Amino acid sequence: MAKLRRVVQIVFLAFFVSLFLIARYPYSGNVEADLFLRFSPLIPLFHFLQDFSLSLVLWPALIILVATPFLGRFFCGWICPLGTTIDAAGRLIASPSNRVSDRWEKLRFLKFALLVGCLLLALFSVHVWGYLDPLSIFNRALTVVFYPLGTLFADQAMLAATKVEFLETPVFFLYDLFKTHIMPEMQAHSQQLFWIALFIGAILGAEKLSRRFWCRNICPAGAWLGFLSQFRMFERIVGEACPVCNKCQTECKMNAIPRGDVKHTNKAECIDCFNCGAVCPPKVNAITYRWRWKPYHTPVDFTRRQLVRTTAGSAVALGLLSVGLINRDAKDRQVRPPGALPEDLFADKCIRCQECVRICASNGGCLQPDGIRTTVLDLWLPAAVMREGYCEFNCNLCGLVCPTDAIMPLALETKQHTPIGLAHFDKDLCIPYAQNSDCIVCEEHCPTADKAIKFELKPATLRDGGIRIVKYPYVIRDLCIGCGICETKCPLPGQAGIFVTTENQRRAGAPALPPAPAQASPYG
Amino acid sequence: MKDFSYTQMAGRFLKTSGLRRSDNERVNMKRRDFLLSAGASAVGGTLFPHVFEPLFAAPPRPHAVWVENGEPAVLLTAALKEMGGMGSFISRGDVVVVKPNVGWDRAPQFAATTNPDLVAALVQECLTAGAKTVKVFDRTCNNPLRCYTNSQIEEKAKSAGADVTHIRENRFVTKAINGETVKEWPVYRDYLEADKVINVPIAKHHSLCRVTLGMKNLMGVMGGNRGDIHNGFTRKIVDISRTILPTLTIIDAYRILTANGPVGGNLAHVKHPRTLIISPCLVSADYLALDLFGLKVDQVDVVADALKHGLNKFDSKTLNVKRLRLS
Repeated sequence: MAKLRRVVQIVFLAFFVSLFLIARYPYSGNVEADLFLRFSPLIPLFHFLQDFSLSLVLWPALIILVATPFLGRFFCGWICPLGTTIDAAGRLIASPSNRVSDRWEKLRFLKFALLVGCLLLALFSVHVWGYLDPLSIFNRALTVVFYPLGTLFADQAMLAATKVEFLETPVFFLYDLFKTHIMPEMQAHSQQLFWIALFIGAILGAEKLSRRFWCRNICPAGAWLGFLSQFRMFERIVGEACPVCNKCQTECKMNAIPRGDVKHTNKAECIDCFNCGAVCPPKVNAITYRWRWKPYHTPVDFTRRQLVRTTAGSAVALGLLSVGLINRDAKDRQVRPPGALPEDLFADKCIRCQECVRICASNGGCLQPDGIRTTVLDLWLPAAVMREGYCEFNCNLCGLVCPTDAIMPLALETKQHTPIGLAHFDKDLCIPYAQNSDCIVCEEHCPTADKAIKFELKPATLRDGGIRIVKYPYVIRDLCIGCGICETKCPLPGQAGIFVTTENQRRAGAPALPPAPAQASPYG
Repeated sequence: MKDFSYTQMAGRFLKTSGLRRSDNERVNMKRRDFLLSAGASAVGGTLFPHVFEPLFAAPPRPHAVWVENGEPAVLLTAALKEMGGMGSFISRGDVVVVKPNVGWDRAPQFAATTNPDLVAALVQECLTAGAKTVKVFDRTCNNPLRCYTNSQIEEKAKSAGADVTHIRENRFVTKAINGETVKEWPVYRDYLEADKVINVPIAKHHSLCRVTLGMKNLMGVMGGNRGDIHNGFTRKIVDISRTILPTLTIIDAYRILTANGPVGGNLAHVKHPRTLIISPCLVSADYLALDLFGLKVDQVDVVADALKHGLNKFDSKTLNVKRLRLS
């Protein structure tokens, strides 16, 4: 069984990674790239709290939730890609056995506390669970850390190999193959890289403390599934032949076999990895697994006192989140992807998985995991950083891959007419205004069928008294969709002479903006 | 030049004499026509040796060919025939770079990118003429994968046998320009190392320089921050173009974009002259293409400046243009 489990783990990991890889242009949508994110057992729970409905789109998670009371936390042991990554990391850095890591057992309650805390906050419409969702963490780490890093190494290695003359042709062939199917067209660069790398690094590094440290002590999805599997029917049966060698106990990935009571299993912890059966000495072979219609119950490691403290802590957290000052200055630069729900709803629904960032990153990085811009909860929401990359006119992919529909899918035609912001000139920087000489790179790149940036010819008096006719650009509010290509392509070295703000943005589900009051354009 | 005017005169005589008319018309030939043609034939007869002698000696190749009214591939074949075939530009075993405009993520009918059928036909011509490899690339403005796909240039050029690749950032080399305003600029290595270069721009409106043609198309092999070129554009582009002149420039005017360029996006701005201009001289090709937009050379600084600085191979005033209208 343990062998089969390992194969299934690898198959699921490969499946999830391949879904990650197809999330790029050209994206057919025949296989939904965000499918694997919808395996997350937390999404149905919290969505149900939000609007008391269960969406069938989340079918993978629903199947898992239905099966868990019978099978236990098989998702953690067999399917979860973060779990598999953690297992691999544990092998690499030699995770200690339970004899050593036993002292962390008292932290077990933490995951239940976190789950309860997340639930309580969610009741007050503060959604922080997305940061801790294992699928979200996996995708976030892949998007921001591993994939760009892998690209960089592969790219540099291959380009270096092409310098060797006889390798040039085959390596470039390989390179093109890689570029078309695996690597992004351009190296992705993400902001928040340090923190997201630290986050995943800590999760993987905690393997040095105990095996599956994250899954044992912190993961709220594990807590949720553990809560559901208290009465699981698929049980580990230890036969009379057991000499109590304690091997299964020390080798248990989750320390789910109580010390001194090897015949029982902590059902809220066991992840069905079947290592116990595999390490049971072959001569003895005392461990079998069976269905039992009258299963025994193991309570979760969460006392009433801990519940009270968690509740108090959550109330304080909620209070603190409410009394913090919101930085209004930064509000207008929170440009969200086209089709994003209104800001509050968007922040509630978004699980910070970075799938939209991933599919946008093939574009060179317009969407970025945002920093703490106005409040703490802005962290890792996708924001368009136009100076780094722009919203491609003929692209609507981010909306197609959002697992929670925080970004609604828009038809391409609709997306091309949905403003996500508005461009403004900074006339102290913009070359024609600041230096009285032609540039209009912004106008050149403006993609709308009727350019949103136009220019007027005006004479400028130069310092030596001469007159020069200069093209002075300006933005037409009704035509600009805030795609930001003007900001990306502005040739100034640092800050651009044109920038996009959330002004004039149209969010999905929000009533259409009233038409701007008709006013005669000064330029005809 | 003398030879040319003779040929032209002969053409005019033949036309007036009715010899070029279709059979139907000749059946209905009237007396007056007959007299006229008889007279013309008499004059033609006396001129005969002067007219046809130069034709037997190899006809001089025109400086440029302007062909209109045909499909892209047909236009190309006709134009190359006038130019003495692709073989007169490409030698056996040459590495040829075909540089179309793949700059934008637009379908061909929007006239923002070079016609893919023309590029494919051109690739085929090069290979038939004995080119070893034909490379096609462009440094795009939008996402390269999207541009290469949606312009259909990648697909069609590849099936014609070209080596179509995205720009690889590590293959730019700093090239000494030593111009008035630009001293050096990174240029794509494959372009510099090619034996022959064929520049295939599409003729488009462009608000900075009125129109974008052959010279501006060369920006697609330039690295660095190209936005910087736009400030003092004319001088810079002429400076850089001087050092990287192509073997042949073919201006795709099958469709042209007349407004909202160079990105376009509105089919109402696309016109269909179904024309192709070919010249071994970059500036002459651009100069001729101004006609497409009804522009005069003094309205387009880039071309005027290039002529002023002698970037042209042929004198624009005495340019020998072969004009063809296919039927």
